[in-house]
Amino acid sequence: MAVHQIEKVLRPRSVEEAWRSRLEDPGSSRFLAGGVDLVLYAPPSVTTLIDLAGLGVGGVRREGDDLVIGAMTTLTEVLEAPESAAAARGFLPGVFRQVASPLQRNVATIGGAVVRAHPWSDVVTALIALDARLEVFDGRTRSLSLELAREERGEPFPLVLAVRLPGAFGNAEAAFEKFSRTAFDVAVLNCACSLRRESGICRDVRVVVGGTPAVARRLPRAEAALAAGRVTSADIEAAARAAAEDVDARDDRRATGEYRRTLTAVGVRRCLEAIGGGRGESA
Amino acid sequence: MIRLTVNGRERTYAAGPGDTLLELLRREGFVGVKKGCEAGDCGACTVLLDGRAVNACLVLAVKADGASVVTIEGVADGGQLHPVQEAFLDTGAVQCGYCTPGMVLSAIDLLSRNPSPSEPEIRDAIAGNLCRCTGYVKQVEAIERAAARMRETR
Amino acid sequence: MTRSFSVVGKSERKVDGRGLVTGRPLFVPDVDLADALVVKMLASPHAHARIVSIDTRDAERMPGVRLVMTHENTPATRHTTAGQGFPEPSPYDTRMFDTKVRYVGDRVAAVAAESEEIALRALAAIRVEYEELPAILSIDEARAAGAPRIHDEDDAKGIYDAARNIVADVDIDVGDVETGFAESDLVIETTCETQYAQHTPIETHVVLASLDAEDRLVLRTSTQVPFHVRRIVAQTLEIPIRRIRVVKPRIGGGFGVKQEVLLEDIAGWVALKTRRPALFWLTRPEEFTSSRTRHPMRVRVKLGIRNTGLLHAIEMEAISNTGAYGAHGLTVLANTGSKTLPLYNKAQNAHFFGQALYTNLPVGGAYRGYGATQGYFALETAIDEAAEKLGLDPIEFRLKNAIRAGEGSPIFEKLGEGREGVSQTVRSCELEACLRIGAERIGWTDRRKKRVTSGPWVEGVGMSIMMQGSGIPQIDMAAATLKMNEDGSFNLLMGATDLGTGSDTILAQVAAEVLGVPLEKILVTSSDTDLTPFDVGAYASSTTYVSGMAVQRAAEKVREQIFDVASPLLGESRDRLALRGGSVVGASGGSVTLARVCERAMYESDQFQIAATASCVPSESPPPFLANFARVAVDTETGVVKVLHYVAAVDCGVAINPRLAEGQMEGALVNGIGYAMTEEMQFSSRGRVRNASLFDYKILGARDVPPIEVVLVDSYEPSGPMGAKSVGEIGINGPIPTLANAIYNAVGVRLRRTPFTPERVLEAIRASRGLA
Repeated sequence: MAVHQIEKVLRPRSVEEAWRSRLEDPGSSRFLAGGVDLVLYAPPSVTTLIDLAGLGVGGVRREGDDLVIGAMTTLTEVLEAPESAAAARGFLPGVFRQVASPLQRNVATIGGAVVRAHPWSDVVTALIALDARLEVFDGRTRSLSLELAREERGEPFPLVLAVRLPGAFGNAEAAFEKFSRTAFDVAVLNCACSLRRESGICRDVRVVVGGTPAVARRLPRAEAALAAGRVTSADIEAAARAAAEDVDARDDRRATGEYRRTLTAVGVRRCLEAIGGGRGESA
Repeated sequence: MIRLTVNGRERTYAAGPGDTLLELLRREGFVGVKKGCEAGDCGACTVLLDGRAVNACLVLAVKADGASVVTIEGVADGGQLHPVQEAFLDTGAVQCGYCTPGMVLSAIDLLSRNPSPSEPEIRDAIAGNLCRCTGYVKQVEAIERAAARMRETR
Repeated sequence: MTRSFSVVGKSERKVDGRGLVTGRPLFVPDVDLADALVVKMLASPHAHARIVSIDTRDAERMPGVRLVMTHENTPATRHTTAGQGFPEPSPYDTRMFDTKVRYVGDRVAAVAAESEEIALRALAAIRVEYEELPAILSIDEARAAGAPRIHDEDDAKGIYDAARNIVADVDIDVGDVETGFAESDLVIETTCETQYAQHTPIETHVVLASLDAEDRLVLRTSTQVPFHVRRIVAQTLEIPIRRIRVVKPRIGGGFGVKQEVLLEDIAGWVALKTRRPALFWLTRPEEFTSSRTRHPMRVRVKLGIRNTGLLHAIEMEAISNTGAYGAHGLTVLANTGSKTLPLYNKAQNAHFFGQALYTNLPVGGAYRGYGATQGYFALETAIDEAAEKLGLDPIEFRLKNAIRAGEGSPIFEKLGEGREGVSQTVRSCELEACLRIGAERIGWTDRRKKRVTSGPWVEGVGMSIMMQGSGIPQIDMAAATLKMNEDGSFNLLMGATDLGTGSDTILAQVAAEVLGVPLEKILVTSSDTDLTPFDVGAYASSTTYVSGMAVQRAAEKVREQIFDVASPLLGESRDRLALRGGSVVGASGGSVTLARVCERAMYESDQFQIAATASCVPSESPPPFLANFARVAVDTETGVVKVLHYVAAVDCGVAINPRLAEGQMEGALVNGIGYAMTEEMQFSSRGRVRNASLFDYKILGARDVPPIEVVLVDSYEPSGPMGAKSVGEIGINGPIPTLANAIYNAVGVRLRRTPFTPERVLEAIRASRGLA
């Protein structure tokens, strides 16, 4: 059905122009990336769309050790880009293949995914595990941690230009588990774990759980259970237990909170086992 | 007004700012683009947008300005069916036919990039096209068969 | 057993396939809609309420609004929406618009406007004052003392006991079950419950109503029952049948939900009142909340078995939730027993009883399987339990007790479609072969012996058997007309309703076979009440068997006429003629083409149109039989069940088009697997559907489907057209009991409530291990 309330679509040619348009009437305007979420969920008050297609903020590229994914890059483009396939030892394509359907991935953008940050988002869970940062513009260009972006107070939310995956995680070991009712479904619960090892010792651990049904969060006590250890099965059990205890699991129509707690333990354990049993301890 | 090339023919179309590509195409007579949910859940409205299969119900028509669209009406070459269409007929992959246009276009998108898809790759490619009649068995078989045929004639 | 055929038994391309794969404008809304009004419905926000007042003035004043309909300005005739033979066995408890609403999603008002946007704005401007009433949201609440009365109108007809919310009550006996249980050495009792599920055809309900040049109402509609639509719309709108023409173009799936007259009355009324075409097309959420569902049921089965391993007594009690209206309430309930109990005809004592109850929830309707699906869950679970208790292989136990060719069952006679049934003897039954083949393909013997585990995953195998029917004996009726053209082709005109099933194709194959011509010589026109003879429509697994026989008879009559003309041309007596390869062939070797025969009949001497109409009202309903086998893996940590392999060996008589028959099975099985594993309509505490979308009501996609093997087992049904029985429904009954039994084999827990979601499976596993 048409989004009847939309009255006009602006097509700025520059980031500054886009931001100025957005500031003119923040209540009634929205940035338009792939448009999927706007078609589905545009509030009745939104009458102006600001199409970001003309800003040239698409494409996947390496910048030094960092992987930079332009905001307008579709999920399919991320999935197919050789640059993203290389990051975190091939972690991203495996995650993105589980997101929605190819039909939606061909339209939805990574910018849309991180700005909307649906509670069930697999993309957000996976990117937080890789310490993703958002390059944004709100009068000036700056960088936000994706994990903390939801705490950004300003209104409107800055214009996202790119997602940056720091090089430190380029060689991280990472794994992802998604539980859903069917294969083409949002997550009942998802979780992603990543870590780097130096001489077998675990550094920079991340344990992230999403769709709880709230949006993805790190679970610090679970991470602490692994920190500076050798990812032994005892560590893994401790992390899984801590994750299950700490996860903000609640009921919704897809599952009960209790079941989500169970899935959290299983998901975290399976991610860590996949990592532990993966490329070994040489990295 | 937007400019669109639909099935090889470029022209301007009237489009409201909130119109979806699905609405525009059906209004303009491309009724092979089916409406099943208007929420991206069923894939009945699948079209190729610049070569890639998308849910036309999730694309604002203005986003397609300047793009090339292929609907099911543009798949056969005159009276000559596309190998995917032939295979759908030969294998019994068409029952009610309502999901067929979308399923065929998803298959064409896949085969244009991957001439020898594995069965899981085929299932992935049509993951967003729901069918309630067939159980997907014959559709997967049809796409395998079409791929083989297209490889032979290449 | 095999007969030799030239067109039948071949996987011909569908006769309508080319148009479908090229996206031709074949479906209801694919025609020019530029002048059509858009109809939108205002749905009740309350589960149970009286409409105190309804103010449509603001809506009517809006520019672009052409008609606003409520109970105040529309016909009040009570009728049923169930598209069944007349007189319908469903109660007349429905009005076009009522003074009361009985479920969230019930009709309150409707608007016809120049655009969807205007229609929606107009709906929002209708002010309705409701007096909320206490609501009934479960069968237990419906049965409770002092339950509110849902149908308190004084003009309803055919409700069994409206004061107690009982739509229908069935109770039949064979022998004496109580004595039977007393005489049994083992008694097993099990109760299973099935959920609210929706058909989700990919095309939702849609109708385009318009007036033709002579002011007749033309309904181009997505229906399984064009002739019932014509009759029920005439009744509802209080106009003569002759003023209505119903055309069914291609339709995007039905599965039973389009055996229901849901939109045609409103769209027809708009066209009559405004003299404008009117398009009424349900949105996907409306398809969930305001169309029809499968009747949820609680079914209890009690088996008495003797030490011989023979069933001695079977009792089945079914409590069905028909929702707010009684459509198909009685017949679905009756089928729960009549399509299941005859399978185990060794039991000399049988008792089936049950009730269908009103609740303030969405309305049950026809859904592929039609009660048998619900019944087989409990029956095949109980049979599995009994086999285990007896220490018998489940296959062996079933074989010992199942019906065979040459046998009947007293249930056939006692229990029909909402009335007494028809006595019959099963003529064709290859159940034993189905079991043997299925067991082989799944690797039954080996896999039952060894337990395969991999980490938390445990594998298991399970099986079940079932029968269905082929049409409703002595009730269903189909007719077909064939007429010949001068190039030796034939027009086949029939009321039979192809809803994607391929019936146009297989019925044409039957005609081609009789007439000795290739399929392309049969030109099909179906489902247009002005052009084609009557047919009840596509339901009850009737089309192949009933409509097929009508086509065969019409073709045979035409063949006789062809012989009349050819006999003098060839100088052969009629009994020495045959039809082959597009010609009439004489026993002496002479032949004459069909084109020449028709030319002579049309233009030369004793001119007449070679044409005939024939009808079929079947006197029996030969059951197809099915053996299901599944291998599953259960994740004991999460409760996730993966179906690894599903084998279905079916006896549907001769498969007129094997690929299309397989397609019927595959589609039904996958629908059934979805019904077993994921599909469930959820309700809020106020009776609102919480997951009215394909986003949250999960049907299976291509990645969810396991390897499925359908085996069409060689069989011949003597009473059927070309040896065929029907195959449309039976497959959907298989997955629930088969997967339940496989899960039991894997992890030792019996699941008695569908769907088997991971959460429920895990809960059951934990309970069985004392962890709950």
